[in-house]
Amino acid sequence: MKVLVCVKQTFDTEAKIELKDGKIADAGINLIINPYDEVAVEGAIQLKEKGIAKEIVIVAAGSDKAMDAIRTALAMGADRGILVQQDTAADEFARAVALAEAIKAENPNIILAGHVAADDGSSQVPTRVAEILGLPHVNVITAVEIAGDKATCTSEADGGTQVTEVSLPAVISSQVSWNEPRYPSMKGIMAAKKKPVATAAAAAAENKVKILEFSLPPAKAAGIKLEDEPEVCATKLAEWMKNTVKVEVK
Amino acid sequence: MPHDNYLYQTRDIKFQIKEWLDIDKILSLDAYKDYYGADDFDAICDVNYKICRDVICPANKDSDEIGMKHVGGNEKAVISPDVFKTVYNTVIEAGMGPGFGDRQVEGRMPLYWYAPILEMQTGASPAIVMLWCLTQGATTVLQYNLSQELQERFLPKMYSGEWGGSMCLTEPGAGSEVGAVTTRCFPTDTPGLWKIKGQKCFITTGDWDGVENIIHLVLAKDPDAKPGTAGISCLVVPKFWVNEDGSLGAWNDVTTTGIEHKLGIHGSATCSLAFGENDNCYGWMIGDGPVDGRGKGMAQMFQMMNEERINTGIFSLGAFGAAYYAALDYAKARVQSKKSTDPKGPSVRIIEHEDVRRMLLLQKSVMEACRALLYSSYYYIDLSKEAATEEERELAEDFFMIQNPLGKAYISDMAWQMCAEAIQVHGGYGFMEEYAPASLARDCKIYSLWEGTNFIQSQDFTGRKFTMKKGEPFKKWLAEIGDFIANKKTPEFAAEFAMMERAFASFNSIVDMNAAWTTTNKQLKQLFATRIMHAAARVICGKLMLDQGLLAASKLAELGDSHFDANFYKGKIASVKFYIMNVVPEIFGTEEAMKAADTSAIDCPEDAFM
Ligand SMILES: Cc1cc2nc3c(=O)[nH]c(=O)nc-3n(C[C@H](O)[C@H](O)[C@H](O)COP(=O)(O)OP(=O)(O)OC[C@H]3O[C@@H](n4cnc5c(N)ncnc54)[C@H](O)[C@@H]3O)c2cc1C
Repeated sequence: MKVLVCVKQTFDTEAKIELKDGKIADAGINLIINPYDEVAVEGAIQLKEKGIAKEIVIVAAGSDKAMDAIRTALAMGADRGILVQQDTAADEFARAVALAEAIKAENPNIILAGHVAADDGSSQVPTRVAEILGLPHVNVITAVEIAGDKATCTSEADGGTQVTEVSLPAVISSQVSWNEPRYPSMKGIMAAKKKPVATAAAAAAENKVKILEFSLPPAKAAGIKLEDEPEVCATKLAEWMKNTVKVEVK
Repeated sequence: MPHDNYLYQTRDIKFQIKEWLDIDKILSLDAYKDYYGADDFDAICDVNYKICRDVICPANKDSDEIGMKHVGGNEKAVISPDVFKTVYNTVIEAGMGPGFGDRQVEGRMPLYWYAPILEMQTGASPAIVMLWCLTQGATTVLQYNLSQELQERFLPKMYSGEWGGSMCLTEPGAGSEVGAVTTRCFPTDTPGLWKIKGQKCFITTGDWDGVENIIHLVLAKDPDAKPGTAGISCLVVPKFWVNEDGSLGAWNDVTTTGIEHKLGIHGSATCSLAFGENDNCYGWMIGDGPVDGRGKGMAQMFQMMNEERINTGIFSLGAFGAAYYAALDYAKARVQSKKSTDPKGPSVRIIEHEDVRRMLLLQKSVMEACRALLYSSYYYIDLSKEAATEEERELAEDFFMIQNPLGKAYISDMAWQMCAEAIQVHGGYGFMEEYAPASLARDCKIYSLWEGTNFIQSQDFTGRKFTMKKGEPFKKWLAEIGDFIANKKTPEFAAEFAMMERAFASFNSIVDMNAAWTTTNKQLKQLFATRIMHAAARVICGKLMLDQGLLAASKLAELGDSHFDANFYKGKIASVKFYIMNVVPEIFGTEEAMKAADTSAIDCPEDAFM
């Protein structure tokens, strides 16, 4: 069984984001695999360890820098990679078109991805890819069992869990709680250098979304510190919430 | 709460490894050229960073607050906090543990890359890192001295982390005076196999429950041993016997009789061990056994100790580096007092006050200077093992040997002082266990004590290292510093070169006085050894920093002021200037004191110490 994992390169979630000329200044910022996609990579490796997956292919659409994200996934244990070269300004639609094109050529049994990207948080790409390819899509999964050409997925649902059986091929996107991604090992890092990574041009697609402006969230105002007997503190806190923060009681 | 929030930064680490030290030279050596490129360092460093941040550092809380517990028995006598097993396994699986010790395997990593890995790990938890470091050190002795057959029996499981390792020198009556050990070894009918009897104390990771077996390297004397260190042999003594096929046998009569309750590194078990209480403890002699009462144990153990000494410098750097980053973080957030230049203005963050900036830049510059000394020493070890010609290997080995006591003693002394500065930046909060510097200060004090106290290092430096091989290597080492100062001057660093010129002249005069006292006044030599060691460290660190300053200035000129990385190079230049103009000048005080040659510490009657 061939498992393909879509991986996006994002800013390090620990990085301090700054704007320059109305855009996110990316110079000098550490780039990582989108942590949600890392879970999908781990999921694929575990399927291989169980003998279900034979080959794991990583696909990333983005600039040449995204090669580092592919290498990290290969260092974790994936087998080969494909870099779909695309302008970083591509929107979710253009991204999905480019990925779907590359995926079609590979004809995998399972397509895994994180359910959301840590940078733009739009949660669209896996669904769009499934739509373009005409495949079923199961989202925010926390477990998966494969038997024959069927996958039984457990996903989060409001107030509980949902179990979905889906026929393969399918797009399955992961919730973070699915697993704990492993760290690439020294051996893995060295082995990854020798694993093949192909490059492909992105299929042409016009962006559907136009970004008008980026802005940073307003700086957090200083809090207050109350030091008194508990009941006095409680009264003062209530007054502060009512008069200063203007919390409305309904 | 002890230190558990990883704020360590890697930019200077990458600068020193990839931009400053000649990485191409190392990567062109036969051992590495088919395997590594410079960018591999980033990948390895980044994974190590993540493990430090997400796995090791959060566990430092349990390491400090729960620590190791002695429960007795022969199986698992020392119990670690639960989280240790996860941390240990993560590090081992990532290949960031004792596997680096294997210096024969194809595709081994450049050795000097190990320095930052260890530094960052110590910055995450000074205690936890000891779980794999001693194992790695022990493998150094075994792979160069043990028979092939025994290597195959012991080493694979030590490299894989399934078994731990320890070094057993110290006994209640034998600390600095290693030659006083009383542990005995007796020959048996099987060649190479000896019976062991004796007690050791203060043995780091002498026991813990995360590994199946502990392989002890034990210093002992045979019945005919000469007195002092000459009679010492070194033996491999496993806690559980290791059969010929590598499987575990019966318990080898090694009892952990207790662990110490310490000022710091609570997560590292400091064990008292009894060998052969039931007369049933055996070990393998490392190399040929003693001849005419002379053993090879000290020389063998020194192969481990030399590496553990530089590693102690690395531990020190990691610990006070972590304290610096905690202080920096705090200074950017804490609002207190008005600016001296705006007394009617608002209260400001303390990083805006002159004295806080002084403390922060002191910590930053000392951290970078110590890193330069340690990484360059590690670079020499790498060359001493892997360089193409014998001549190059020998020179590198000599320079490493000269710098090693400085790397151990100066940097561990700095660790304690710099943690104190980090506490000072925090004000009263620094005295509270909730803030990182308190536990880091407690943890780092050990580094000036173990692996030979800092006085022992100073004595080694001012004695053996000045005169080894008729003093030729030391002369060469000094000449390199002198040549650099004389020939690399630039207008931008004119004042710093001038200061280094004076400091170097002063140090030469210190060296001459020390040499004269060797014959005329041995006591003065002892009295000043520690201060001379500090003076030497300041001179070499000043030179290395100035070299980095020149590189930083040229990079800054190339990239321009608005480049995203410009602040790094500006910060480096500030560190260089601060170190040379504020830290190096302490040399002059030592020179003056030596000229005055005050002997009151010797003359003062013992009963007058009251
Ligand atoms: C936490 C911890 C872990 C340790 N781990 C290990 C380990 O794994 N393996 C191991 O074998 N040992 C270990 N040790 C032991 C350590 O190496 C010794 O404590 C150290 O060598 C000093 O010996 P000592 O404690 O007996 O001090 P002493 O030798 O009694 O020294 C006391 C003081 O006297 C000074 N002094 C001694 N001799 C002279 C002299 N000739 N001239 C001037 N001053 C002198 C010393 O510098 C020191 O200031 C550990 C110790 C600790 C505390």
